[in-house]
Amino acid sequence: MHEQSLFASVPVHQHHELLQQLAGLTAMQPRHCLERRLIFKAYRKPGMAGRTGASQDLQQGDLQRLNKMLNGNMYYTQVVGPVSESDFGSTAPVDQDTQMAGMDDSKPYGSSSSPSYDYERQPWKLEFRDIPEAGTRSAVTSRLMSSATLPRGDVVQAMNAWGYNFVTEYVVEGDMFIHNDIAIFLHRVLHYPGGDELSLPRRQLPALKDMTLFEKSGSYVLQAFIIVQDGSNQETMKTASQHLFGLREQLKSAVLLEQADRLSLDTRAK
Amino acid sequence: MPITGVYFIPSNPNAATALQIITERLRAAFPNEELTPIGRWGLEQKLLRDTQGLLPSSNSNKKPSNPRYMQFLSLTHYPTHGFIYTAEPEKPTAAPIQNPNQGAPGPVNAIAPDHSPSPPMVMTTIPPSSYGTLFQHFTYACQPFWSHRLTLAVPNGIVYEVGDFRVRLGDVRQTFPTARVRGTVVEIEWRGPSVVEAIPVDREDGSFDVGVDAGGETDMDVEAAGIDLASSAIEESDIDAEYAATASLIREFWGRLGVEAREAILIPNVGKEVKDRLRRWKKAGSGVATGADTKVDGTGSVVGERAEEDPDPWSGADVARQFMEVLRFNR
Repeated sequence: MHEQSLFASVPVHQHHELLQQLAGLTAMQPRHCLERRLIFKAYRKPGMAGRTGASQDLQQGDLQRLNKMLNGNMYYTQVVGPVSESDFGSTAPVDQDTQMAGMDDSKPYGSSSSPSYDYERQPWKLEFRDIPEAGTRSAVTSRLMSSATLPRGDVVQAMNAWGYNFVTEYVVEGDMFIHNDIAIFLHRVLHYPGGDELSLPRRQLPALKDMTLFEKSGSYVLQAFIIVQDGSNQETMKTASQHLFGLREQLKSAVLLEQADRLSLDTRAK
Repeated sequence: MPITGVYFIPSNPNAATALQIITERLRAAFPNEELTPIGRWGLEQKLLRDTQGLLPSSNSNKKPSNPRYMQFLSLTHYPTHGFIYTAEPEKPTAAPIQNPNQGAPGPVNAIAPDHSPSPPMVMTTIPPSSYGTLFQHFTYACQPFWSHRLTLAVPNGIVYEVGDFRVRLGDVRQTFPTARVRGTVVEIEWRGPSVVEAIPVDREDGSFDVGVDAGGETDMDVEAAGIDLASSAIEESDIDAEYAATASLIREFWGRLGVEAREAILIPNVGKEVKDRLRRWKKAGSGVATGADTKVDGTGSVVGERAEEDPDPWSGADVARQFMEVLRFNR
């Protein structure tokens, strides 16, 4: 799959107005989204040489191919999970055992009125984005992507086994619109309070109001994107970028949608 | 999740496989059973290996380390998910994960003590739509550490019902890197009464897991078989005993056929998901479903897809492990 996008920066004072414009353009109410985003980095054990393997059936061509693979790119990838506003600042689900022991006459299990956030039930998706393609085939940011559903709950053990280490996490808040085949996501990045010294994803989320803005001015990013299933089909790729240019024209008076700097979207791990 | 055993009979590339012989022996060993196929089944397995481990040793006095494998397996009798089984890194670079529900990595399993030198393995199940995507991701973005070595398939296996057992057999074909026949694989599933089947899947309605069955035939009625136990009546040791007892039944069954084969029944971590389920059941008290999922709806998110909800993500993990064990050719 390929993702083609155009980006624009939206100052905070323009946010409300743009939301209304987009609602008008797309004839839909904004869909508010909150997402936890975990960043993982591919790792390779040091001291890679000197390992025995199935060398007996290794041909010269194989060896060349292997060396090429070993020197291939490694990437950062994100694991994204939807959360709701009520998940922030809420407690873990009440354990039946403790509830029984502590408060005998409390309400039946499950009907507790205070919202709870259960990390063990958190759905996740692995969202991979390659570095945008080099060379300007057209003036949109085009990159290889993949998106795969992961099991609910703790993904770190599986990610570690697969070759990824947890680096850090953040939250994205924003609003989503759909306009024909274009998804429009007006969003900004929130950081957790108190820095990110944790080596594991949080099991509890702090109150939403305690989250700090990554961009201090509070400005938003507008991303308009189309996901093309078959990126090798030049025709559909071209159609997609033309649709994006069409949207750029429609929004020209409000925002300037443009291609992103390729290296600023570099996902390769050094 | 029924208790199963898997056998593999290798064959030479140009010779006939053992499929014919096994079918005949089945007929001969159980003359009172009508041996008619009740369905078809299929399997696909992809084997990945750590890329570095494939390099010839340049420094022979270094201690050779164990190869790490990642196996992708899909079974037609568990259509709601694919299985990924991955060796853990030898030295976890991140802090060890303490997760009460998933268990510490590689605990010593009482059913089959892990004496093998291979690193502990992590089982993951993912929806079919993501299965191919993840495989592509690993072959594209993880080349320095994962290398696709083999693809094996059982394209058209046959299912027989023999007494209290269900037998799935089929020829294993290698489709990557070169096409060739590898041998014959046989899965023997115990369909009689079992304590393991009496542990409910933690679903909202608290209904019993009677197995996801591709054939759609009616499953054995667990309650009619006389097993209806409270969570307090089952202990983990009972599960170990049940696996051991059923394993001997499966071995006895296989013994009647008199075919030499590679066996995988009580392999490391078999029964882990069943024990996890028992633990969750005990914790939830008398089987009250733990909090219905209230938060995904209304959140409205790009990544929320209710359609992909899997009623029992762990079903079939045991048999997946067994298939992976016999089909992991050292490449």
